[in-house]
Amino acid sequence: MAILAPSMFLADVELSNYLPIVVIVLMAITFGIINVGVSMLLGPRRKGKVKGVTYESGMNPVGTARKRFNVRFYLIAVVFLVFDVEIIFLYPWASTFAHLTPQSEESLLWLGRIMFFLLTTVVAYLYGWRKGVFKFD
Amino acid sequence: MDTPSFLTAQVLVSIAVLVIFVHVILGIVTYSIYLERKISAYIQDRIGPNRVGFDFGLPFLKFLRGCFGLGQPLADGIKFFLKEDYTPDKVDKALFTLAPMTIVVPALIGFAVIPWGGVWHINQFTIPILNWTIAGGDVVIAGANVNVGIIYMLAVASLGVYGVTLGGWASNNKYSFLGGLRSTAQMLAYEIPLGLSLLCVLLVTGTVVPDGIIRYQVEHGWLLFAMPVAATIFFISILAEANRAPFDNAEAEQELVGGYHTEYSSMRFALFFLAEYAHMTTSCAFFALLFLGGYHLPASWIAGPGHVFSPENVTLLGVLAKCGVYLTKVVLLICFMMVIRWTLPRMRFDQVMMMAWQAVIPIALATVVLTSVLVYLDLTDLLPMLAANILLAGFIVGIYPLLPKYNPNRKIPLYGSRFNPVPGERVSTRPTDPMALEDRPIEGTAKPA
Repeated sequence: MAILAPSMFLADVELSNYLPIVVIVLMAITFGIINVGVSMLLGPRRKGKVKGVTYESGMNPVGTARKRFNVRFYLIAVVFLVFDVEIIFLYPWASTFAHLTPQSEESLLWLGRIMFFLLTTVVAYLYGWRKGVFKFD
Repeated sequence: MDTPSFLTAQVLVSIAVLVIFVHVILGIVTYSIYLERKISAYIQDRIGPNRVGFDFGLPFLKFLRGCFGLGQPLADGIKFFLKEDYTPDKVDKALFTLAPMTIVVPALIGFAVIPWGGVWHINQFTIPILNWTIAGGDVVIAGANVNVGIIYMLAVASLGVYGVTLGGWASNNKYSFLGGLRSTAQMLAYEIPLGLSLLCVLLVTGTVVPDGIIRYQVEHGWLLFAMPVAATIFFISILAEANRAPFDNAEAEQELVGGYHTEYSSMRFALFFLAEYAHMTTSCAFFALLFLGGYHLPASWIAGPGHVFSPENVTLLGVLAKCGVYLTKVVLLICFMMVIRWTLPRMRFDQVMMMAWQAVIPIALATVVLTSVLVYLDLTDLLPMLAANILLAGFIVGIYPLLPKYNPNRKIPLYGSRFNPVPGERVSTRPTDPMALEDRPIEGTAKPA
């Protein structure tokens, strides 16, 4: 068999091929439920007043854990969103860019557009850096 | 009866591959815990588990006693089932039970798109009782031969964060909460370089289909040699994504006890560990796929063209040989991860995050720009890519001293302590010195500078 061109794989759109993914998701969910269920059934059950206390290195727990936390984690999540959405936009470009004729005018246009797109992200990144989002101390 | 139209040979083979490989992955997971204990033991000059065999205490199975401790994972598993599954009082009960399941599902479905054995040519066959005729043809030995391919892997890898966050939040424990937050932030941060280094591979191969990526590497050589910078970034990112050392801050015992699984016991605790090792296995499989040529072994100079390891060999023997090669690569990579874990000290959390945002992500962005320019110039062969990568690495090393330094370990001066004298002050730490015994600077000794 000759080596199949990547485009042949791309043309192969068949929805029935997604059926195994449904099967594996169901298998994984069943695996999780059965494991937790069996250990609940087989294990001993002993309740205790002190046993149910939240673990805090043997001390009596102070307050609750539902407290305010450092705002840095929130900032990280927001910056992550910016980058992740950007990367998602890059995938379709990346998988088709190699099929263009190298060094052609069209190819240069594609490259330039994406470089501009990346530049906007770099600007956002530098802004975040200057604002101290990436500082941890 | 007519054959249902969705039931192609590919779907049947895919389901069979899934059922087999779920067990293979779970087997690798249980035995990689044994392997980790053995490797750590040899690194620390110990013997490791060597008692539990398969004799189950029965006299007539005496010859199976010992077995290098290979029965240990089985014993551990049984023990996990038989221990008490305790739910502390203050937890959010629904989420507390849900979290281990949420983390184990993405860990187990991630491997579905990996082409373990390449292409298999199957003849037309008939399912006996139902009398359905299935047309033959070339099928890919993968859990799911879908054309989104690698994108599926990224999507599933992102889902792993939810279990960690839920586990940390639901436990209502400060250690769990902090551990969960740390892991979440770390996994989010390292997902970006993971995606960017993957992008480099897609740019060069021009396809997102896993089998296409392997075929590209069969023709043009393994991408590890063509783009070592992207491979390094990808490996660092999968270490951080799987919460492995040196990035296992969630489990920093000294500060956070067990991290997000502090409050868990029994099988729910085990599921977190199972997910971590399954995640490792899947990540290693993807590393092998992207950078180590997947099932390919460059053996044509020994065995001639069309040997069992080449993608053109579509016989069952070839498929099995390729599966063997792929799994060997995965296990070797897992061993490498373990050696890293027992060699390097754990990084501090601020170091991990600063490394992600101030080093790994800029380098990954630079690699993407470099690779796309090389693709534009049609210089995607091994040597130009390698040269460009070496230049990039040299540039990074060269520019490093010029970057502004930021020292998070700076000493915060605390005037009045003998470790931070006022400028010009005389400090002595000799044990007999009155100043040292006083443990503070003696007033009046400070001289104007």
